[in-house]
Amino acid sequence: MIGTVTLNPAMDVILEISNLKINSYNKVLNAITTSGGKGINVSKAIRGYGRETIAVGFLGGGRGRMIEEELREIGITTNFWHIEEKTRSNTIILDKKTGEHTLLSEMGPKVTEYDLEMLKSIFYRVMSQCSAVTLSGSLPRGVPENIYANLISIAKERGVKTILNTSGEQFIKGLEGKPFLAKPDLRESNRVLGIKINNERDAIKAAKEIVQRGAEISVVSLEQEKDIIATQNEIWFAETDYHEIVNLIGAGDALIAGFAITLTEEGKNLEEAIKFSMACALASALREEEEFSSREEVEKCLKCVKLKKL
Amino acid sequence: MIRDVTSALATCKLVDLIGILSKHKITGLPVVNNDQEVIGFISLHDIIRATLPNYLGIINSNSILSEFIQLSKSLREYSQHPIKEFMRKNIITINEYDNEVLAADLLIRNKIQRLPVLRDGKLVGIVTLTDICRVLMEKSENKE
Repeated sequence: MIGTVTLNPAMDVILEISNLKINSYNKVLNAITTSGGKGINVSKAIRGYGRETIAVGFLGGGRGRMIEEELREIGITTNFWHIEEKTRSNTIILDKKTGEHTLLSEMGPKVTEYDLEMLKSIFYRVMSQCSAVTLSGSLPRGVPENIYANLISIAKERGVKTILNTSGEQFIKGLEGKPFLAKPDLRESNRVLGIKINNERDAIKAAKEIVQRGAEISVVSLEQEKDIIATQNEIWFAETDYHEIVNLIGAGDALIAGFAITLTEEGKNLEEAIKFSMACALASALREEEEFSSREEVEKCLKCVKLKKL
Repeated sequence: MIRDVTSALATCKLVDLIGILSKHKITGLPVVNNDQEVIGFISLHDIIRATLPNYLGIINSNSILSEFIQLSKSLREYSQHPIKEFMRKNIITINEYDNEVLAADLLIRNKIQRLPVLRDGKLVGIVTLTDICRVLMEKSENKE
């Protein structure tokens, strides 16, 4: 079983519109409501591939129950702690005419110290059933920035491999827990540990620094479908030779799912893990729909991954 | 099976358990240890039975109002007690690969609403009679 933690999930409302006009009447062509949040997306990708996964985190109100219901329907096991305030909602406006995406993101709910203690208790128990866990995404209000380091320590105590994928201060503090694999989320600032990622050299420098700070493996995305992977002794450059990407939303989460899957399979080495994870990301990027890729789709993409040891 | 492993530790306080049941909109849940092994089950009926033993027997009588007041007093009194004082320890469970007929038999014969599903002794889900009816309906629709 692979665990995923989503502390700040969201109900994503995707509205398709043709030629959005501000301050005017706009007709919605299609509306899709789906559960979101990086950890939840990782669980969906793992389940799409056919592996078992359990999703843990905070949910609240009717939106929270809808998310829980949706996850169970697709075969994901849930163990969320329900808080007083309701789960946030993200509205994504897709303009079919211009191709522009507009994201309206609500602030997360407030979490209390009691909620945090309850979550840690659930996490400790769930880790007894897991071989790997991913800790992804932003934090709701009231959650300290060292939460991921705390959860990584709990998971390690129970012999579970940990994967950290977040941004900013919670990523830096999370590294103090010494995760097995760490990948900074660069979507907001393209910067990690004070290093601006503009080229391959910057990505290598950042990847080395992340390993220096305690991660056994680091993954730094350079640009679309290009990644640098570093360990204490090796540096790899991975890319795909398929360039007709249609949907990058969720590709990073699929990459994390790929690492979680291979890291829990007997006898897989780092090279195989990188290839498989890149294939998961590519398969996700080739799908127009929000659903995650199947095992067959991922396996087809394996041959498009190019790997070079630097 | 409902793929949800919401559960409580035996040390959970009664007031906190009622909070969990109400937020999840369920009437009972498995009690587990720190390794997710099921060691008991607790439902609202178990709580009422333990805090006011006569209540369920007189629920249809004319004295319901006074007993209701007594029940609320008892609940307040016991609110900080751990649920291990109220949980059922002789639990009925089912294994993940057992079939729906056995699950239905266990639920009906033992007059219980929720049946914990285990894999290697650890909780992996819950089965209710509603789930079983849904599976049976889907099977009969497929045959037609």
